[in-house]
Amino acid sequence: MRILYGLTLIAGFALLGANVFGGREFFGDRRRAEIPPSVRQTPGGWRTFMHNHGFRGGK
Amino acid sequence: MPQASCPTCGASLSFRPGTMVAVCGYCKSLSARTDRDPRLIGKLADLVDTGSPLVLKQEGSLGGRRFTLVGHTQLGHPLGGVWDEWYLAFEDGRWGWLAEAQGHFYLTFKEQSQLLVSAWEGLRVGGTLHLGSTLWMISELSQGTFKTAEGEIPWLVEPGATYAYADLSAPDGAFATVDYSEDPPTLFAGREISLAELKLQAAGAPAKGPKLKVQNLPCPRCGAAMPLRAPDQTLRVACAACGSLFDAEEGRFSFLKSLKQADPRMFIPLGSEGRLGGMALTCIGFLRRSCTIEGLKYFWGEYLLLDSHGGFHWLVESDGHWSLAEPVPLAEIRRTGANDRSIHYAGHDYRCFQSTEAVVEGVYGEFYWKVEQGERVQAADYVHENISLSEEIQRHPGGGQEVNWSRATYLPAEDVWRDFKLKGEAPEPQGIAPNQPNPHWKTARELGLWMAVALGLLLVMFVFQTVNGEHMLLQEHYDLFERVPALQPNNARQEPPSPATAGSRPEDAQDPVFFSNPIQVVNGNRNLALTLRAPVDNAWIGLDGALVNEATGTSEIFEVASSYYHGSDSDGAWSEGSSTETVYLSAVPAGTYVLRIAPQWDGKVPPVRAFDVELRSGVAHGLYYVLALLAAILVPILGLVRALSFENRRWQESMFTTKSGGD
Repeated sequence: MRILYGLTLIAGFALLGANVFGGREFFGDRRRAEIPPSVRQTPGGWRTFMHNHGFRGGK
Repeated sequence: MPQASCPTCGASLSFRPGTMVAVCGYCKSLSARTDRDPRLIGKLADLVDTGSPLVLKQEGSLGGRRFTLVGHTQLGHPLGGVWDEWYLAFEDGRWGWLAEAQGHFYLTFKEQSQLLVSAWEGLRVGGTLHLGSTLWMISELSQGTFKTAEGEIPWLVEPGATYAYADLSAPDGAFATVDYSEDPPTLFAGREISLAELKLQAAGAPAKGPKLKVQNLPCPRCGAAMPLRAPDQTLRVACAACGSLFDAEEGRFSFLKSLKQADPRMFIPLGSEGRLGGMALTCIGFLRRSCTIEGLKYFWGEYLLLDSHGGFHWLVESDGHWSLAEPVPLAEIRRTGANDRSIHYAGHDYRCFQSTEAVVEGVYGEFYWKVEQGERVQAADYVHENISLSEEIQRHPGGGQEVNWSRATYLPAEDVWRDFKLKGEAPEPQGIAPNQPNPHWKTARELGLWMAVALGLLLVMFVFQTVNGEHMLLQEHYDLFERVPALQPNNARQEPPSPATAGSRPEDAQDPVFFSNPIQVVNGNRNLALTLRAPVDNAWIGLDGALVNEATGTSEIFEVASSYYHGSDSDGAWSEGSSTETVYLSAVPAGTYVLRIAPQWDGKVPPVRAFDVELRSGVAHGLYYVLALLAAILVPILGLVRALSFENRRWQESMFTTKSGGD
């Protein structure tokens, strides 16, 4: 039980520490992507790019 | 000192002030003091060798006052055996009564004040008696039978006469006896005392120690060896080989009867030697006892152990659980609950586990009282952690009774096996004993300590994050109709979305897209939180968003939607969602960013005219605190539940399963 508690504490506080001190977020629907300049400079390119990355809007 | 002559042999008799009768040291005649010559009362038997360390005419001092042991009586107890009373003549004329029983000494002095004491028949053992300013507890109500004496006695005794008394005890070793042989009853009050306090000096013969020499005697019935290991104190012996029961008073065996005894289930053979609690002990007797609860008979065993000083101890075995018991003064027990269901002892509350009649089923070995098969006592057990206190009320022949308390400490079976060098493995304990230590409490306490540390750390981290504060990076109000006039209902020439049109956004609809002013992210180690506030009502509006690093093109792409629906159905009113939603983003490297947001909704007309967007950094994200909190408390709670479950299973075996003490 002590080992289980140790592991649980390490896991819980590692997550919190990474969030508080490192700004890391581990949950939620978001992605990091490199958006090519061509996309950024093309009208409508954003919408297509984001659609292709799984963001389709709607409820 | 007034001298007189023995009416029988003419030897010199001494009658100091206060002496009522005197015993001739030559012919054992008992003579009473009169105005003239002593009156012969009768001849006395020889004294029984009880192994007392005291001798007549021994001198000592107490509190600076010298005294002499001038008299000594032996009185028979209803349960067999005799106890000694010594009479101390102090140099100031006072008399002290020194009672000796099983190695304990009680010194009392006669109280001169008139007593208003209840009749002997109106008292009950375990009850209380208020005398003067002291609240006494009644430990024994009984009658002593005068057997014999030596020296000068300060009260009028007659051979064979019985004297009713009540023994009382109070805190701090206080002890008293109410003597009901006089009218009105006389109180003798004092306390338990050690021989060292009496500063006794040798008088003639040196003070004797208890005789512990083993007498190797054969069983008169079967011839098997039946050694007496406490010959001074043994009153009854049962041959372990043939089951014959003998009276062993005064070193002689008198056959009483043959016992029919079932398998004793005796793990420690008689005569085994071992050490428990630092004491060298010898097993000299074994009792098999039982109680009947709801028609079922439960058995347990009690081993009588003799220590090297002649003291007795009990080792109790029940279903493989072992406890070492020692006597507890009655005055240290205080009843606290209704119906005698709880008591207070040594700073702790004890809860009644069971109360029943205990019966002696089997007798093996030697005992210091006249034990019998079928002997019954009313017994109650009270429990606190690994200690149980047992109360046993025993009735005496002649109407008296006494109460004895003992304190039993749980012992692991392995310790008993190791300390007595027993062969084989200890039987596996069955169930949970009333005083078995809860093996889970220690872990639960440790986990509780770690939990406190973890919660403290959690608080420190929260304070750290709060003190550092969150930073507002962007706070923007978006008026869709103002920024995109084409979206206004009049221009769109379309009604707000209906359930029929919801979700059928035209393929050629053009999404409005907004870009923020440049945002400076200074600290690359802080998370980001984007909050959308939109007063939606049975509708939703979402944002496809991207936080784009202007220099590198690296983007955090996210979605966030405000969605709030409500209504009522056959179950009543309902609602779901919220008009405010937040999405958390991981920290991004310091730099200049642009927030791109593209609102989404059903239909052509937006469900709200405007919405607000906030982007903050260094935001306390409750989810991680909740996770850390759960990590900190879940396992300790599990440990606590495990410990409480153990307690619950323990008390399921009790006659009183509820905390309130109900049945």
